[in-house]
Amino acid sequence: MTAAPPAAGSSGVADAVEARLTLDRRRRTRSGGELAVGLAIVVAAQLALSSVGGFPESWAIGLADWIDDARRWVISNQTTHWSFSFIFNPISDAIDWGLRIVERFLLWLPWYVVAAAGGMVAAAALGMRAGLLAAVGVLYFGAIELWEESLQTVALMMVAVGISVAIGVPVGIASARYDRLQRSLRPMLDAMQTLPAFVYLIPVVLLFGVARVPAIIATVVYALPPVIRLTDLGIRTVSPATVEAAEMFGATPRQTLRKVQLPQALPSVLTGINQTIMMALSIVVIAALIGAGGLGQVVLESLRRLFVGRALEAGLAIVVLAMLMDRVTHGAAGLATRRRRLRLMPDSLERLGFVRSVESALESVDRFLCRVGASLASPVRHAPGLAGLARHPRWALGLVALVVVTIASAVLGRPEFPSAITFSFAPAIDWLVDWVRDNLYEIGGTWFGTGWFSDSITIYAVTPLRELFSADLAWPVVVLAVALAGWRLGGAPLATFCTACVAGLGFLGMWTLSMDTLAQVIVAVVMAILCGIPLGVLAARSDRFERMLKPVLDFLQTIPSFVLLVPVIIMFNVGRIPGIIASVLYALPAATRLTNLGIRQVEGEATEASKAFGATRGQTLRKVQLPLAAPSIMAGINQTVMLVLAMVVIAGLVGGGGLGLETVKGLRRTDSVGSGFVAGLAIVLLAMLLDRLLQAWTRRFTPVEGGP
Amino acid sequence: MALHPRHVKGESRGHYIGPVVTTEQTPLECHEITKVFGDNLVAARARLADGCDRQMVLDQTGCLVAVRDATFSVERGETFVVMGLSGSGKSTLIRCLSRLIEPTSGTVKIDGTPIGDLDDQELRELRRQRLSMVFQHFGLFPHRKVIDNVAFGLEIQGAAKADRYERALEVLSVVGLGDWADHFPQQLSGGMQQRVGLARALCVEPEILFFDEPFSALDPLIRRDMQDELLSLQARMRRTLVFITHDFHEALKLGDRIAIMKDGEFVQVGTPEQIVSAPADDYVREFTEDAPKTKVITVGSVMQSLDGEAPAGEPVGLDAVLDDILPRLLANPAALPVADDQGEVVGTVDRDRVVALLDENSRSGASGAGRDADQL
Repeated sequence: MTAAPPAAGSSGVADAVEARLTLDRRRRTRSGGELAVGLAIVVAAQLALSSVGGFPESWAIGLADWIDDARRWVISNQTTHWSFSFIFNPISDAIDWGLRIVERFLLWLPWYVVAAAGGMVAAAALGMRAGLLAAVGVLYFGAIELWEESLQTVALMMVAVGISVAIGVPVGIASARYDRLQRSLRPMLDAMQTLPAFVYLIPVVLLFGVARVPAIIATVVYALPPVIRLTDLGIRTVSPATVEAAEMFGATPRQTLRKVQLPQALPSVLTGINQTIMMALSIVVIAALIGAGGLGQVVLESLRRLFVGRALEAGLAIVVLAMLMDRVTHGAAGLATRRRRLRLMPDSLERLGFVRSVESALESVDRFLCRVGASLASPVRHAPGLAGLARHPRWALGLVALVVVTIASAVLGRPEFPSAITFSFAPAIDWLVDWVRDNLYEIGGTWFGTGWFSDSITIYAVTPLRELFSADLAWPVVVLAVALAGWRLGGAPLATFCTACVAGLGFLGMWTLSMDTLAQVIVAVVMAILCGIPLGVLAARSDRFERMLKPVLDFLQTIPSFVLLVPVIIMFNVGRIPGIIASVLYALPAATRLTNLGIRQVEGEATEASKAFGATRGQTLRKVQLPLAAPSIMAGINQTVMLVLAMVVIAGLVGGGGLGLETVKGLRRTDSVGSGFVAGLAIVLLAMLLDRLLQAWTRRFTPVEGGP
Repeated sequence: MALHPRHVKGESRGHYIGPVVTTEQTPLECHEITKVFGDNLVAARARLADGCDRQMVLDQTGCLVAVRDATFSVERGETFVVMGLSGSGKSTLIRCLSRLIEPTSGTVKIDGTPIGDLDDQELRELRRQRLSMVFQHFGLFPHRKVIDNVAFGLEIQGAAKADRYERALEVLSVVGLGDWADHFPQQLSGGMQQRVGLARALCVEPEILFFDEPFSALDPLIRRDMQDELLSLQARMRRTLVFITHDFHEALKLGDRIAIMKDGEFVQVGTPEQIVSAPADDYVREFTEDAPKTKVITVGSVMQSLDGEAPAGEPVGLDAVLDDILPRLLANPAALPVADDQGEVVGTVDRDRVVALLDENSRSGASGAGRDADQL
């Protein structure tokens, strides 16, 4: 395409413009044409193969039976085979031993000591108010008579997170030092993070059986990636100038690591531990399915018997635990850089004289306590390892007080949690569930209500899609469509990969169930995107709206996926719809946050330039901000899809059906471990398929790197 | 002063920045240092041996020749400045001197010992005891207070806390930051941060100090302050300094000798006066164009030998730069007497000679016409 030189007069310019327009038109028709041709191929294939239908069941390779055989072999050889007596059983025994010790210790402590300790840790990380709230939160465990279950979960968490950190931090350090290790770890970690938590449980069950130890092992495997990744990242992002300076001063690699790299990487490492804790919590609950006990067990049992109120009580306890651990580790990650003032009341009440006097009284009490603590700690001032206590007199005092009280209680007899302060709001919730069913299903006898809502989603979206995928469309057509999408987005390699994944679903014998799950995922993703992206745009444009939205999103992200089901069930009863709605809620924060972030990250100058040319806010958004934010928004969509998939699978527990239900069956009943395993494998295939397709699509939005 | 064993043994060091003990050895000698980045080193070396230039090596082997055959030595108490534009290889060169970057070929001798032969432990010892470096972006540790930054070198050597703090406070007060010991680096301004960097480097009493564009990230005024401070410190401590800069004026101001670097090679090495008055090629001449010549050229190079009677008046020294005598020349059309170190008058200098020299310099530098119109 040659344009006439601009110097050739006005007709030359007109030609050049015309040529450009033609080029532009052609490009548009080409990409539109490709889509049309693709669609035409798919439709033609469907017409030609209309009688074929779903994947022939006889083609399934029967993996489930092999797995069942393997399981039987494991059971009969557990006591004799060397791999069990020398590898699996010792690991299992060691973990069990550690868990028992932690659990016994926690349950041996008097309830008020546990509450006070929780409060103190939160206070140290976040300040006085948080400390008080944390203590109240711990008391809630006892108040709803789930003290033992809660501490069981805490013990499980402590052991699992402890193991994750003990493995993850050294591996992260090694991976930061050796590029080759990082390169070989990365695909593994990617895969580990893509897969829904659920999937980990099955192979572990195969090897270790059903109990709490496999739950811990599955948790460790699932929760390990963030701490490895963020330790690696933290060390790698330490400014190279400081590392060079350390080297120049003759520091050994060890000294550089200890004195320069690790301290600077600490916030990142703590963020990793925070994520690990949150992930561990989400799976520890699910692990109730394989006999992990604790709060998860209560939620699960209650949901199974439709005691929604009890499920909510226990679910709330999990949320309290999650918030506590999340906030405390967040605070700890920030502690390295700033120190907080002692504060009980919000700053906004500062102008009241009464508040000021209370605060100053508190401060003087604190000063006094600090002096006491300092004098208590003075004997260990020079002891290595304990010297830190002398520098933190509050800690010293608190620790001494806790130990004294504990010993005193042990001597005088340990009091049980007083029944006077227990309560239960389960009946109220159960009543609410009934009320919702009776009154909101069809509000005031009209057609409108939750019933209409869930029915329309089922009738107009989920069911038709499922029928379309699993029965109406011939299976080769589905494979072809996915292959074409893969080819368009990532060329032959991606097309091959996608074809293999989809065909794999069929050969595993999971075609119908997979298509069911896929239909649910698509409906939930569309809903999440339709809500999430506009919310993100709004949040990016209004600081006030962002501030309002933040706690809601924080809350949704902190709740373990499983617990999120409970309130949704209150509204929509069991079935596919609550699963889908819970998925939307679960995935919404990712789409909203990344849209908001992407738009806000657009350089101020670009936005200003657009304004300076007189663009309206809408124009600025459409022509400057959204295109520049596209990579971030796409990343949000990618995450949304992954989160939805994880949640839809969990929703199998409450009647969502599909692959999730099959997996759960495999976990619950030993005779269907094989088909559960296969369903888990199908989830993996589905997750990888969606993830790779979306990542390829995301890459097309990433701006061209580099310049002249 | 109870410091690390190294500091207490033997001689007493009266003031902490007293001159180092001199030995016969040249503190720093470099012979044909070459650094090539890339995977195909064998081929690159062969091309270099054939005399291919940098672009040809890059085109043919994909390897980047960052430094090529840099040979120089630095005397005790001397400030050696390497000046070059970005990408000229000067930062790579200075890192080769302490093996932060391993040179591809060539030898670096510190006090006569080739450092290429040292093992890791010996190299660390060398860095701990003899060398120090000030970095372009300061390289301060953000997680450590100013005092712990400064004391880092001693900490690495295993000095006791009390000793290293004592020493660090001393050095901090020398750079004027005595009151800032308990702040974190990011609470300080850029100039102050680089003072911390300087204090950190001085704290270990190095014999050789490397400066990697230490002032280029600072504001012009602060940069000038820091340059003056470095000059006055160096006047007292007489260490061996290697100073990297891309600022020609800075090079002239600080350097006893200057190496001009282009595309990885030295194009000229000499005193500021040599470079300004006799640039080796057009590349160097471009830098000297707007150099403050009167601050660099000495009376000795413009004077006429004494021919007959010495003129009246207070004699000026051979080492004085033109700037020093300009007021007298402008006030007085007669020639001034020039005296050597012994105070004996050896020549004269007058206004016409200075004008002629400055004019000649500017004309030879200018390639265009029309310069005559600007004559004084």
